[in-house]
Amino acid sequence: MKKYKKDRYISGVITAIFAAAVILPVLTLFVWSFTQRWAWPYIIPGNFSLNAVIDVFEKLKKPGGILISGVVLSLITALLSVIIALMSAKALLFYNFPGRNALLFGSILPFIVPASVFSMGVQLLFINLGLNNTLHGVMIAHLIYSLPYALRLIMDAMSAIGEKYEEQARVLGACGIRAFVDITVPMLLPVSLTAFCMAYIISFSQYFLTLLIGGGRVITFTIIMVPYLTSGNRNFASAYSLVFLGISVIIFMLSKKAAAISNRQLKTQLY
Amino acid sequence: MKNKIIPYLLLIPQFILSGLFIAGLINAIMISLGIMPSLGLNKLTFDYYIKAFLRKDLFDSLTFSFYTALVSALISTVLGVFICYFMINTKRGISWIVELPIITPHVVTALFIISIFSQNGFIARLLFMFNLIKDQQEFPVIVYNSGGIGIILGYIWKEVPFVIYFTASIMSNINEKLGDAAANLGAGAGRIFFEITLPLCKNTIISAFLIIFVFSLGAYELPFLLGATKPKALPVQAYEQYLHPDLRNRPYAMALNGIIIAAAMLSAVFYYFVLKSDIDKKLKNKNLNTCII
Repeated sequence: MKKYKKDRYISGVITAIFAAAVILPVLTLFVWSFTQRWAWPYIIPGNFSLNAVIDVFEKLKKPGGILISGVVLSLITALLSVIIALMSAKALLFYNFPGRNALLFGSILPFIVPASVFSMGVQLLFINLGLNNTLHGVMIAHLIYSLPYALRLIMDAMSAIGEKYEEQARVLGACGIRAFVDITVPMLLPVSLTAFCMAYIISFSQYFLTLLIGGGRVITFTIIMVPYLTSGNRNFASAYSLVFLGISVIIFMLSKKAAAISNRQLKTQLY
Repeated sequence: MKNKIIPYLLLIPQFILSGLFIAGLINAIMISLGIMPSLGLNKLTFDYYIKAFLRKDLFDSLTFSFYTALVSALISTVLGVFICYFMINTKRGISWIVELPIITPHVVTALFIISIFSQNGFIARLLFMFNLIKDQQEFPVIVYNSGGIGIILGYIWKEVPFVIYFTASIMSNINEKLGDAAANLGAGAGRIFFEITLPLCKNTIISAFLIIFVFSLGAYELPFLLGATKPKALPVQAYEQYLHPDLRNRPYAMALNGIIIAAAMLSAVFYYFVLKSDIDKKLKNKNLNTCII
């Protein structure tokens, strides 16, 4: 028993060190976002200012600007990822057809091949298809990269649930589509929300892919933030990071909440 | 008859997206092999790959990126598995602390590394306050270091949580079932870890390692923002060759990308088999359960 307690103690300490290493850098964001100048060698910035944060919100308020291409673009990409992942997972898990394994292999490739390699290879094709420098072109490129994450999560859950509930509905007379939409989709709602978040994050984090396919015309968070970083405007870079990271965290928390609620409802329905 | 069409109908969007993806890769490989009809280049050649190893600037990029990717992936995997094992023990499970770095984009990670480790960063200021250095210049160049230390630090911050996230569920599963049984039979924590948890999680851990290794080999953001001017990382060098006004440089870019694709394909094959055996196992268990019911 004593030994067990010691193990718990060590575990606590290691987890705490890890937590500090994660949180401390994020705290620097808060300080830098509200700083005008922070001269060497002071440990605390000299003058605080709201300039950087105000600038972010003004850009966000402008209609048709960064809010659309930065946030809405990623939200739509994430939604499409989940829908396509549900369809693909269903086909890949429960049907046997020629080419199934090849498609499964193809579907995980973007998980492993870096986006920079893909974007240089595909840019010419996107130009020929008229997709370069357009919002929907960037969305398609993001979709290619966010889909594998959504697919992996949904396939995991779908294979754990199996087909038996859906078969039950079929036995009771529901048609295939109805059984899928009414039975499987609600059961997969929690994991679909997680997949949605993951896909959103992947889309929102892309820099190189957005730069190349968007041609600098499609302004997302990374496209606006990187020039501030390379030109040494750490306060502006921090303010943009803080606000956009905040939006991601809110989306993450909301869907976690929704997942918990739908989980609870599902349980009461089943019993 | 109808049943045969359904999977293909469901897979239409997947076909289109995977098709675009594969087309991009094939295009890159064709160009790397010297086939660029628009420039009148039609002869298949391995010259550009050979040059990638013979031209000093290209070869330096290759060794630099393999080195930083290998070091950061190794450290991240070991640290991630180690921390994961202890985090599971605290019985709180995976918390938002693990998720925060995962939702943080790489460009923001670069900002963190600069704010903390640069010559006028937080640590340099702390050392100055305690009189350990007298001038910014005395603080070692970590961020734009030609050995890639800044890049490695950035990847470790991003990838340790990824390894934890990736391995946590299988690890806690094993610990709960087999670990407790072994503990009852008198095995110590170290023995449980090395003789039960590690061997059973081996495939998942190797998958995690391969994914982050190939990612850091080919990702542009961190080396672009945290790297020294020389040597250039593989993706940075490739992009420079790609943007070169003389289009005849493009095959060099694609040859470098081709090497990344080769590494990625090898990793993808391994990951595919791990994933597939996982899915098959789950489906089989499900079918067994239905039979029993």
